[in-house]
Amino acid sequence: MLDANAEAGIRMGASREQGTHSTQGHPSDEDCVAEFVGATKRFGAVLAADRINLRIRRGEFLSFLGPSGCGKTTALRMLAGFESPSDGTVRIDGQDVSRVPAYARPVNMVFQHYALFPHMTVAQNIGYGLRQVRPKLAKSEIAARVDAALAKVRLEAFGARRTWELSGGQQQRVALARAIINEPKLLLLDEPMAALDAKLRGEMQRELLDLQRSLGITFVLVTHDQEEALSMSDRICIMGAGRIVQVGTPQDLYDRPRNRYVADFVGKANILSGEVLSRQAGLARIALAGGAQVLVPDTAGDTRRHVDVAVRPEALRLAVAGEALGEDAMLRARITHRTFLGDHTEYLLLAEDIGPFQVNVPRQAERALGGQRVGDQVHILWTAGTGLILAAEE
Amino acid sequence: MTDDNCTKFNKGNTTMTQDNTTISRKKFIEELRRYEKGSISRRQFLGTTGLGTAMAVLGGALPGLLPGRALAQDLGDRVVLATWPNYHDTANFDLFAQETGVFSQVNVFGSNEEMLAKIQAGGSGWDVFVPTNYAISTYVEAALIEPLDLTKLPNYDPAAFDARFADAGTIDGKVYAVPKNWGTTGIASNTAKTGGVVDSWKTFFDGAKDQFDGRVMVHDYQLTTIGNALAYFGYSFNSVDPAELAEAEKLLIEVKPHLFAISSDYQPAMRNGDAWVTMCWTGDGKQLNTDLPEIAFALGKEGGEIWSDYYAIPVGAPHREAAYALINYLLDPEVNAREALAHGYPVADARTNALLPEELLNDPILYPAAEALNALEFGAAVTLTDPNRAELMARFKSA
Amino acid sequence: MTRTRARALLLMPAGIWYGVLLLFPLAVVLVFSFGERNPIGGYAPGFTFEQYANLPARLSAFINTLTLAPAGTLAALLIAYPLAYYLALKVSARWKTTLLILVIVPFWTSILIRSYAWIYLLGGNGIPALLEAVGLGDIRLINTPFAVLVGIVYGYLPLMVFPIYVALEKLDRSLLEAAADLGTPPWRSFLQITLPLSMPGVLTGSMLVFILLTGEFLIPAILGGGKVFFVGNALVDLFLQSRNWAFGSAVAVALIVIMLIVVALYSRAVRRFGAGRDDVGLM
Repeated sequence: MLDANAEAGIRMGASREQGTHSTQGHPSDEDCVAEFVGATKRFGAVLAADRINLRIRRGEFLSFLGPSGCGKTTALRMLAGFESPSDGTVRIDGQDVSRVPAYARPVNMVFQHYALFPHMTVAQNIGYGLRQVRPKLAKSEIAARVDAALAKVRLEAFGARRTWELSGGQQQRVALARAIINEPKLLLLDEPMAALDAKLRGEMQRELLDLQRSLGITFVLVTHDQEEALSMSDRICIMGAGRIVQVGTPQDLYDRPRNRYVADFVGKANILSGEVLSRQAGLARIALAGGAQVLVPDTAGDTRRHVDVAVRPEALRLAVAGEALGEDAMLRARITHRTFLGDHTEYLLLAEDIGPFQVNVPRQAERALGGQRVGDQVHILWTAGTGLILAAEE
Repeated sequence: MTDDNCTKFNKGNTTMTQDNTTISRKKFIEELRRYEKGSISRRQFLGTTGLGTAMAVLGGALPGLLPGRALAQDLGDRVVLATWPNYHDTANFDLFAQETGVFSQVNVFGSNEEMLAKIQAGGSGWDVFVPTNYAISTYVEAALIEPLDLTKLPNYDPAAFDARFADAGTIDGKVYAVPKNWGTTGIASNTAKTGGVVDSWKTFFDGAKDQFDGRVMVHDYQLTTIGNALAYFGYSFNSVDPAELAEAEKLLIEVKPHLFAISSDYQPAMRNGDAWVTMCWTGDGKQLNTDLPEIAFALGKEGGEIWSDYYAIPVGAPHREAAYALINYLLDPEVNAREALAHGYPVADARTNALLPEELLNDPILYPAAEALNALEFGAAVTLTDPNRAELMARFKSA
Repeated sequence: MTRTRARALLLMPAGIWYGVLLLFPLAVVLVFSFGERNPIGGYAPGFTFEQYANLPARLSAFINTLTLAPAGTLAALLIAYPLAYYLALKVSARWKTTLLILVIVPFWTSILIRSYAWIYLLGGNGIPALLEAVGLGDIRLINTPFAVLVGIVYGYLPLMVFPIYVALEKLDRSLLEAAADLGTPPWRSFLQITLPLSMPGVLTGSMLVFILLTGEFLIPAILGGGKVFFVGNALVDLFLQSRNWAFGSAVAVALIVIMLIVVALYSRAVRRFGAGRDDVGLM
């Protein structure tokens, strides 16, 4: 944790005023396309999914985010029908589908490595789902819909190609076209971008969003890439150890991470432990190691004395010298690393008695700061009311 | 091995003084040995498999490690023998090695044709081999064997041998081969199934299509199978007359669908009751009859084969002196008697017979009455090389 | 320059192998096939097409081979496929190695010995006796084409199991999930996905077994009682019994030509099933 902090530094940024609408909304039944109700999955002694409760809204782009082994893939596979819950139920359109096999579910999936059929052409791959429909569809209808799907993913000229002749991005578009051709109620995406290089990934992410908008299908994405989740999702479901840790919009999760796990996983945060001295008017006065005091919104809603405080790197400021105004805190620190990143500069610092910090300084403020170097002494300014108190980890 | 085989042939008059465990172990080995003999008949097996050179290397693999004996005459350290399966007492080879320092490497073969093929191909590496009477003249004509230097074979006494079984080795007054054993080719029948001894080729072939349907075996061997089909019609066993051969072919092809098998490996099927009647060589007949008394051996009334095997030295034998030493050793009456006790085939040497038990010499299977023998013919050289007989056999087999 | 030399050096053992042990004997056989039979057997030089003209004399051997070899290949395939499928896709990793070893254990003993075991199993005191005991009458199995077929399938099964096993083992399971995801019930996805993608293994196994079967002589000799005659048996007889080396060579050449045709058809099939894919090898 220390290392992570040293590298990532911290801050819990963003002012309190910013959007804090319901993180765990409860859509009406009509708006709910799929639902986990206490869904639990055990593999032998391993609890891969632990009492998951989640309603997926019709038309939304939902991401399951978490490190490997957190249960996100298991959740997705329970939706797809590759796993059936050991306990609890999975519903699609109000129907309990817990025991319905994958081939009978109105959902389709884009697989991590696309799982294109190597013995079929691109067009045959895309039309595969249509050919499984019983009673059989007319050949002409299949052909027309395959052509339309090829057009939708801009692969008109590739229908007769073999799949292994295509680039990674093209293969992914084939996988996408194959998965949407049956107009599923849910489109499941299992880390579809993992195999693409960074530039292509950005393009594909935009294409995916465009596609979702034009189709109006509910997308459920599994990813371990927080940027991908943040940039694409309407809502993100953060998972850890088989459980849902927090569900919310990207902004919710960034601004109001429930606990250390979320704060650490979404964006960068300085996480510090401290002691609550007093609580007043929604603010808590907290003494950090070494005695410095900060005023932080009392977000945890409990009465613990020992708490973790998080603050985003961009919510802090640096000053060469001077005094803190009012209730703002001022921490003495030494610069250990300085990285120029164009629109801002990233400073890693070692605060006296406290430890590592990260502070991001915008371009304009950087000028005012003057040419500070590694090894120089500076002050970290912590404006009163910035940051938040993290809930205890479960 | 020797003891076990002696035990078998001396059964009844050998007193065993060893303790019970030894006896039961001996008995076990005896049974095992009998089983082995039963499952592999004399001329076949390897002929069937086409794997011509299964090798029994007797101490020859690492001669340098074994004690040799300094001799006045340098014989070298090994001798290569090409022979038939189950045709020797292996202990004799060990004794030979002790006496001379020469180790015998034994290769066994399935047919004269196969032996000839190997020698013709060249580079056989053999020092001694065991051709059958009718093959010898072919070897001589093709200059594949050399006249024997009888001064190196003091144990060979022409006077002691029945001329019938010795004269095929002499061509144009030169001795090319000396006799080993002789025998006949007759009919073995399981009387419990056939209801009587099958003693004619008429019954043999007619029965095959009728009361013995699916139970009769003929050899996978042109000489005897075609020869006995010729005998059925009263023709010479050795005929190469196209008209006579055509009749024999017609008979064989007619019978084929009704045969149990075309195989010279007939002992297993006879023993387990799958086959009831088979063409059969003397030694096999004796072994079958000994173990299963209901299996009788008889000669075909119309005729059939009498044969005799010889020792010969191929041209270019790599260990020629050792070859003479080995043949001479095996011709020693005492050694030869041990051989006969081991393999059970009749010997043409009066000196050897004098050493063999009376009951063996009186055995009607091994030594049929002289009248019965008169109807039999020695295989003729022409049958070995006649392309029509070879093709006839092939057509019969592939029909 | 050095690279070329290194390559030449590396290829030399294979080159010598093929040159000495394949091409040279093949050339000898070809030359012999235009010769004549020596009067006492063997080969006499000559140039005649007589041996080829005489090939119909072994027609039944060719017919036997070319019916029983495909039948044996097919029977081996039908038995091997489910076994390979089970081993590759159903058995837990713990048992897989053990079961795979069990498949090859029979190879530790000579086919000769194993075929002799079948003589007893198929002989009158074996399976027919059991069938008789349950009232199925007088059934004879040994020395029939059926017995040869049993021996063939038994002897060559591992050669069929392994290529299919390998093909199924590397089958990407997510393809089956994708098929299911797209609405395919399991039996249909077997036909649409598993079977086509295991075709390289099926073809390789079939080709191995078929080629070896066309040269087979041991099993028909032992379990066919000499009555089921393959080209291999004809060759053994021609070289070792009637010593008609010229005709034997012509028969061998004919057999090689037939095999080449089959291999050509095979490579075409491989191209069809796996054009350009690097996971489809030519055996």
